[in-house]
Amino acid sequence: MRPIAGFLSLLLLSATESVRADGSADPADPITAQNPVLERGRAVYELRCVSCHGANGSGTADVPAPIFGDRPTSDLADLVARTMPEGSPDDCIGDDARAVAEWMQQQFYSPEAQARLNPPRIELSRLTVSQYRNAIADLGAGFRWKVEPGTARGLKADYFAGRHFQADKRQLERLDPVINFDYRDGIPEEGKFEKEEFSIRWKGSLIPRHTGWYEFTLHTENAARLKVNDNVTPLIDAWVRSGSDRNFTGSRFLLEGRVYPIELEWFKFKEPTSSVSLYWKAPYGVKELIPSANLIPENSPPIIVVETPFPPDDRSSGYERGTNVSRDWDEATTYAAIETADRFVAGLPRLIDDKSDRDQQLRTIAVQFVERAFRRPLSDDLRQTYVESLFAATENPEEAIRRIVLLTLKSPRFLYREPTGDDDLYDRASRLSFALLNSIPDQALLDAAKSSALADDMLLREQAWRLMNDYRGRARLLEFLRSWMNLDRLQDIEKSSEVFPDFTPQLAADLRTSLEMLLEQVVDTDSADFQQLLLTDTVFMNGRMATFYGVDLPADAAFQEVKFEPHRRSGIISHPFLLSGLAYMQSSSPIHRGVFMSRGILGRGVKPPPLAVAPTAPELAPDLTTRERVTIQTSPEACANCHGLINSLGFALENFDAVGRFREKEKAGTIDPTGQYLQRNGELVRFTGAKELAAFMARSEETHRAFARQLFHHMVQQPVLAYGPDSIAELSAFFRDHQYNIKELAVEIACRSSILGWAPDTEPLTNTEQK
Amino acid sequence: MNNRRHFLRSLGLGAAALPFISNLSAFASPAALSTRKQRLVVMFSPNGTVPWDFWPDEEGATFTLKRILEPLRDFQSQMLVMHGVCDKVRGDGDNHMRGMGCLLTGVELFPGNIQGGSDTPAGWASGISIDQEIANFLQSKAETRTRFGSLEFGVMVPDRADTWTRMSYSGANQPIAPMDDPYQMFRKLYGQVKDREVLTCVLDNVQDDLKRISKIVSAADRHLLDEHATFVRSMEEQLRTSQTRDIAHAVPELEPGVKEENDNIPQITRMQLDLLVNSFVNDFSRVATFQITNSVGQPKMHWLGIDEGHHELSHEPDENKEAHEKLTKINTWYAEQLAYLVRRLSETPEPGGDGSLLDNTLLVWGNELGQGNSHTLNNIPFVMVGGGMDFSMGRSLKYPGVPHNRLLIALAHGFGHHIESFGNPAYCKDGVLTGLT
Repeated sequence: MRPIAGFLSLLLLSATESVRADGSADPADPITAQNPVLERGRAVYELRCVSCHGANGSGTADVPAPIFGDRPTSDLADLVARTMPEGSPDDCIGDDARAVAEWMQQQFYSPEAQARLNPPRIELSRLTVSQYRNAIADLGAGFRWKVEPGTARGLKADYFAGRHFQADKRQLERLDPVINFDYRDGIPEEGKFEKEEFSIRWKGSLIPRHTGWYEFTLHTENAARLKVNDNVTPLIDAWVRSGSDRNFTGSRFLLEGRVYPIELEWFKFKEPTSSVSLYWKAPYGVKELIPSANLIPENSPPIIVVETPFPPDDRSSGYERGTNVSRDWDEATTYAAIETADRFVAGLPRLIDDKSDRDQQLRTIAVQFVERAFRRPLSDDLRQTYVESLFAATENPEEAIRRIVLLTLKSPRFLYREPTGDDDLYDRASRLSFALLNSIPDQALLDAAKSSALADDMLLREQAWRLMNDYRGRARLLEFLRSWMNLDRLQDIEKSSEVFPDFTPQLAADLRTSLEMLLEQVVDTDSADFQQLLLTDTVFMNGRMATFYGVDLPADAAFQEVKFEPHRRSGIISHPFLLSGLAYMQSSSPIHRGVFMSRGILGRGVKPPPLAVAPTAPELAPDLTTRERVTIQTSPEACANCHGLINSLGFALENFDAVGRFREKEKAGTIDPTGQYLQRNGELVRFTGAKELAAFMARSEETHRAFARQLFHHMVQQPVLAYGPDSIAELSAFFRDHQYNIKELAVEIACRSSILGWAPDTEPLTNTEQK
Repeated sequence: MNNRRHFLRSLGLGAAALPFISNLSAFASPAALSTRKQRLVVMFSPNGTVPWDFWPDEEGATFTLKRILEPLRDFQSQMLVMHGVCDKVRGDGDNHMRGMGCLLTGVELFPGNIQGGSDTPAGWASGISIDQEIANFLQSKAETRTRFGSLEFGVMVPDRADTWTRMSYSGANQPIAPMDDPYQMFRKLYGQVKDREVLTCVLDNVQDDLKRISKIVSAADRHLLDEHATFVRSMEEQLRTSQTRDIAHAVPELEPGVKEENDNIPQITRMQLDLLVNSFVNDFSRVATFQITNSVGQPKMHWLGIDEGHHELSHEPDENKEAHEKLTKINTWYAEQLAYLVRRLSETPEPGGDGSLLDNTLLVWGNELGQGNSHTLNNIPFVMVGGGMDFSMGRSLKYPGVPHNRLLIALAHGFGHHIESFGNPAYCKDGVLTGLT
């Protein structure tokens, strides 16, 4: 390896380009003009650095990697003094090294300087896959009544004496939290039923936590029919009991943040015994009785959920965005359009009545559909293209609507974000809605655009808060928090069955639920306090978790908030789910934990390792603690530069083993939970254990800036610095001034970003482009 | 049969030479000749027949059709009327249930929770039905594989899944729902083609809109739309090519807006039969079932001047002449539907082959009961029409009460699928039903 590598990897970098003709920075640059240190730094760079690193650190043929990153200046200065210029590091030390580091920092090294040099722009984008699915769901839902879950959980149950659900034989009416009944050879309640036959109908809605496939399993020796998100065709039809089948399964794709109708009808007839249980296997979950937390007694209309698989969106800049198209994507939009058209047309009968002219009603529905899909009223011209011409082309109005849906959903006006470049209040409504709900504006928001209400900042904010408080807005925030913590990557956590025999898949699923309940708790309070995520001294636990972690709860206890080692633990960083997820089968992993905290919480640009290194197996170093082993392993210069940052955060959590249990000792050694962090302003912070580390991060401006930046990117899917070089600092200050209220910050981001759209073309096409 | 005749004719051999040729082993095996497309249709109508107006008195090649079969007179030389074939399957369920569930499966129903008018409750049949067995056989070979394998048509089948409404089974406990909405069947058969037509127009429009928007956006963003336009264009081209490739014959036009209700039964039946013929022309499938209503079906044939439901009438004793006059009319109407299908098939040339579709199709008409008022499972009114199986047609056959499993085996053998037994093996001991060829 060339000696230069150490320098490169410290600066966190990498491009091939010849030296520019004018290879120099502009001496009249206002940054350097009145500051002698910066002037000196510029001169040093000219003299010693530019021939290899190029103007503004953009790299040359010899040293192609561009120089940028987020290290503090003192770190840079130290490195320059030790290693640069290559081969004669003594030529640039002391004040020279400090001056050039300072100048590089301000001229091109920091993210802010990079944004100034290469201003990011708002790009034309298509809908991301989740935006597409949400938009379809809301397009259909816009024609039905809206259901927001209340506080009640469980399903509404009607019990009948007799197997035909006759109203006059209804004996019981109640709320059942879960469906799991075993009557053996008996009856639901003495004196009200006969043994030979009785029936039960459960009705209500499902509120799933995640987007994905849900596998339902019905277990009964009697007869049952399960409908999920479809009021006509059962997902499971076991109405005819036949032979010895007892388990029946069926799957549905569901989107989080939405409410789906569910109905289970069940009856006993002549069988010697009776029982019924309803299970599901949710994404990231295990097969379990559908928890009452996911059941509500309110009825709801079915949602159109596109099941067509799409290629995943680009995530190369850290957040999902729709800035590329592919053949697969184009095909998927076609299949999804057909799927949607079929479902929408099948649901048409419920949207029309017998009171007025049928054709006229269908035409109105068609216009509404297109306008909502395009997020703006139709001009006469477009109305002709997208609606009238299709009604004229066929005698069958349902077929016309089918074609209208197909055409609309294939149109760039639906598939792209604000594609017409009008940049009016309708575009503003659209941006606001996508930011807060990840979906198209609802009718109220379109109306607010129409009435010019959205031009008024206060009314704009009012709308933003309305969306924020919508059930979908809540789901959107939770989705962000999960992606902020990278929870989707923590799947199928397994532990060594020899060392941790009680760490079952059920327990792993419980741990995730527990963490997600914390996220929900924070989001569901008015204060929505971000710091609470890092500082809370409680954990949600059920009996299984409590048994495993030695907390005093009954073994069958439902999830509840408990104090869990409050003097040792603090917030998410010491939550058993993250601690277990960011660990190996047998041992902890300070590196995984450190990367999560430096990259995720503090927002540092930690790049992938320059070398692929297999971690030293604990068995090969039987006498060492994990801390000692990791320190030795990451000591080479190529590793140490990043791992200095990563490890010294992760080490502070070494009191927690591979399953997140507290420990004082590891093997023969005593745990050393001290750590440190060199802030971007050059100050060193020291801490011991999780509580001190969490307290530091909760108050660190770096954390606040990182959170604001990531939330912005998640919501807006455009580079935050395209909205002004100071936008991160401003959002971070806003966050602080609003007591770290996540919802306030989200509304602020939505309102700010809603004002600005992509810049349409202002210059005529050149000859080449016209081709 | 017809194929063989054509084959012989092309050799310059006449009818006189037939017996001799048939004994030559090289010609005796149907498989050796069977490059033709063989097809099977099973039609079902419910509630038994009126025996005295159904069964011909005579046995053999010379017989007189009774009133119910009269509509098939033009095709008498291509018919087999098969008296004495009985559904001997017993076990759980009443006769209507077993008649239906065992008609094509030949095997007992599982115990279950469907309670009939008598006997013990039952569930689904415990085995595959012969139409699906044959369809699987045909699908297993490249030369006989079709897009759907089998199609299950229905007419006014009640919207409930139970032992009385299902006769086709893809396996034990796996009933197949017949499709009784012609529009739905149309979408199944031709939806892709229609979608392609519509999509081609849609994509045309999308191109225009992409161009309009492309003019507005900046050069840096334009590449996205240009790339998108390329994909749209290539899909449009694909659609145009596949359109001409996939569908050799015109897509039928269905009269729009025919509601699924009792009085539209004649019209729905006609639409479904037309779709069946069309699906054969396009070789979408070589096996079809056609289920008119269901076991215990209650159509009210107002169009015949009959206001009572069919099942209700079928319980009337033999002495009730008025009721039986109506039952004869009802069953004659079913025969007319079969005759319509037979005629359509006979008038439709075999695509890419010789003769008509009828020359290569065997139609089997069955019922869940022999007679309604006795609920007997003996003498199921089986009639077969057409040249699909190389059976020797144009005869009235009288069997001595044989299990219908043997007939089911014969259908499989007709396709060259030589199974030894089908359904409950106890009823298959005497092997394939003899006297057909």
